[in-house]
Amino acid sequence: MPIICKSKCGNRAALKRPKTGDALCKECFFAAFEAEIHHTISSSNLFRRGEKVAVAASGGKDSTVLAHVLKLLNERHNYGLELVLLSIDEGITGYRDDSLETVKQNRDDYQMPLKILSYEELYGWTMDRIVAQIGRSNNCTFCGVFRRQALDRGAKLLGVDSIATGHNADDIAETVLMNVLRGDTARLRRCTSIRTGGGEDSIPRVKPLKYSYEKEIVMYAHYKKLVYFSTECVFAPNAYRGHARAFLKDLEKVRPSVIMDIIYSGEQLRFKDTVKKPERGTCTRCGFVSSQQPCKACVLLEGLNRGLPKLGIGKKTKGERMIAKQNQELALRERANLVKNDF
Amino acid sequence: MCSIGEDDFGDDGATHAMVVESLPLGIVLSPGNCSKCDVNSGELYKLNFRTAECRECFLAYARHKFRAALGAAKILPRNAEVLLVLDGSAESLVLLDMLHFAQTQNTFKRLHCNARVVYVEEQKVQGRDPVHLEALQNLSTQYAPFDFYVIELGALPSSMQRIKDYSPSLNANNELIHKLQKLRSLTARQDYLQQQRKNLICSVAQCLQCTHVFESNISVDLATQLLTAIALGRGGSAALDVALLDDRLSGDVKLLRPLKDLNEQEIQFYIHAQRLKPLFEKGSCFGREHGQTASLQNLTSAFVANLQQNYASTVSTVFRTGDKIAANSNPEQSSCVHCRSTLDSEISDTLLAIEYSRTVSEAGVSLYKSGQDLEGLAKKRLENKDGLCHACRAIQAELDSGNLL
Repeated sequence: MPIICKSKCGNRAALKRPKTGDALCKECFFAAFEAEIHHTISSSNLFRRGEKVAVAASGGKDSTVLAHVLKLLNERHNYGLELVLLSIDEGITGYRDDSLETVKQNRDDYQMPLKILSYEELYGWTMDRIVAQIGRSNNCTFCGVFRRQALDRGAKLLGVDSIATGHNADDIAETVLMNVLRGDTARLRRCTSIRTGGGEDSIPRVKPLKYSYEKEIVMYAHYKKLVYFSTECVFAPNAYRGHARAFLKDLEKVRPSVIMDIIYSGEQLRFKDTVKKPERGTCTRCGFVSSQQPCKACVLLEGLNRGLPKLGIGKKTKGERMIAKQNQELALRERANLVKNDF
Repeated sequence: MCSIGEDDFGDDGATHAMVVESLPLGIVLSPGNCSKCDVNSGELYKLNFRTAECRECFLAYARHKFRAALGAAKILPRNAEVLLVLDGSAESLVLLDMLHFAQTQNTFKRLHCNARVVYVEEQKVQGRDPVHLEALQNLSTQYAPFDFYVIELGALPSSMQRIKDYSPSLNANNELIHKLQKLRSLTARQDYLQQQRKNLICSVAQCLQCTHVFESNISVDLATQLLTAIALGRGGSAALDVALLDDRLSGDVKLLRPLKDLNEQEIQFYIHAQRLKPLFEKGSCFGREHGQTASLQNLTSAFVANLQQNYASTVSTVFRTGDKIAANSNPEQSSCVHCRSTLDSEISDTLLAIEYSRTVSEAGVSLYKSGQDLEGLAKKRLENKDGLCHACRAIQAELDSGNLL
């Protein structure tokens, strides 16, 4: 016997929603999925009329669905937003070059302007060259730190009021678990918030897909026949995050509601007064948001340029020792030159 | 986009600082000179991150951890009435032995409290043969003058008996077993049982006029418990689940976990040094036999054990995260009628989003027709009439008929 759609619309159910376990037909699923994102946006006041919003687009499923849904809701509910696509080209051959083609396809499909910024022009390094220098370990640290700052730089360039990223419920739950596993209270505090940043000198980031399950995003993209790019990055995937991810997938199999429960738990966590709070400031060197002086991007970049790629990895004091040693050697060499020049 | 961590650590987090190696657990003993007292000993105890030491030095070190946990926090008043919970595990025997030792020392060093021991018989709920009474009676003679009591899980607190009067009750069923059978998932059953066990221990403590209860959870238990609480949606109260002091019990009974700083290796060494005989193997708790993927609790426990193998500092890092969090507390706010954790006063956006999903799934395409207050409907679903917290509601939802309490 065919299963009928839960909404009593009379159609046959085409899928079972992972989030609620309800059997729905395609049209009802679209309606519910979009209504939820609209509810998230309106109840959290993510945008204001007349704002210019950058959609961080990688060409993957999350950002493709985000761009599609934001455009649709903007028209349906008359948000009055000006949407632009913002992509970062990390310079990874065989991965980012292909996915950027997908973003260009999105640009044409959704009629949104697209801005692509590359690591090459911002930092003078591509990920291919960075990996050639530091190898396969810790390369995600460089990529992640640079991408986050590159998004800020791009947003400033475009003059937008906020950046919308495609982080979904699974991503957030996974991050809660990971921050507990590594005892990172500073990030545990903020990783569940739907809006981060947004002081006087920073551009806020919002996560309209915060409550959307990854599985449903894939289903939505599939049934809507959206074009997206689904290859993993060619450089080694992040091992530690992989553990948290696999664990979450296992948990989800046992109890699908676990994703929302973990987000809820993450929001409910309170910290003792004795736990240090990070202070958000701006980097004295580059002027972008950072909780450290100088910011991580500047330290990593300095390491690359000095030929000490491990500078920003590990303890700060270790990095300082490395710099001091190199400066000493340089001074020695200069002195040697001086002696030579005296002749 | 593969990451949402920020700034300084990047995606690898602090993993570069984690040592990818761990010494095999198990007893590493070899003859030699103790590095502390320099006395030659046939058996040297070599703990991870410590030099090899003789039996006496090891025992002094392990016992100090127990005393320090109680002493530093100053939470045990002088001459307090203490109830020690014995479940037959290695950890609970270590706790019993340590407490006994602390009471036999000279006046200057003695731990001033009056202790009783209650053995919680869980075998019937787990569907196994009852424990050997003889082994239990031997314990009670060995650890005189402590009074030993026995209570069966699921029985009324009034059915508690002194060990010399105790004989296993014949009726194979009780109400708790019925309720457990009604719950659909093992996750809910384990969560429910844990709460019921706590309530029972609290009632027993009140019967015996004890103000403090000692539980024998060690660091790995608490690390697992923290992650489990988060997965169950108990983030607001997770801090109390892993803290030294849990004051959620009724009647002002306080639950203490004085072994929280000990690790598995220390327990194994202590058992060996004192020739203790645990009544049960480790990991014999309810529902473990159904396998790793049978419940959230089993999965979490396996996950922590597995990660500990590859990243030796996993348990201590998670455990220390637990030390940094505080419970959601508000004296004016009412607490959950089942688990007694503080209820979340404001409506949470996440909980509303869950109910909203259910509402729009039921509405389907008809939600395009205006005039429906879907958010209002979702809020109505969320209204807390039953006095249960989010996680306890999940248990109640699995109970097809009848009330949780």
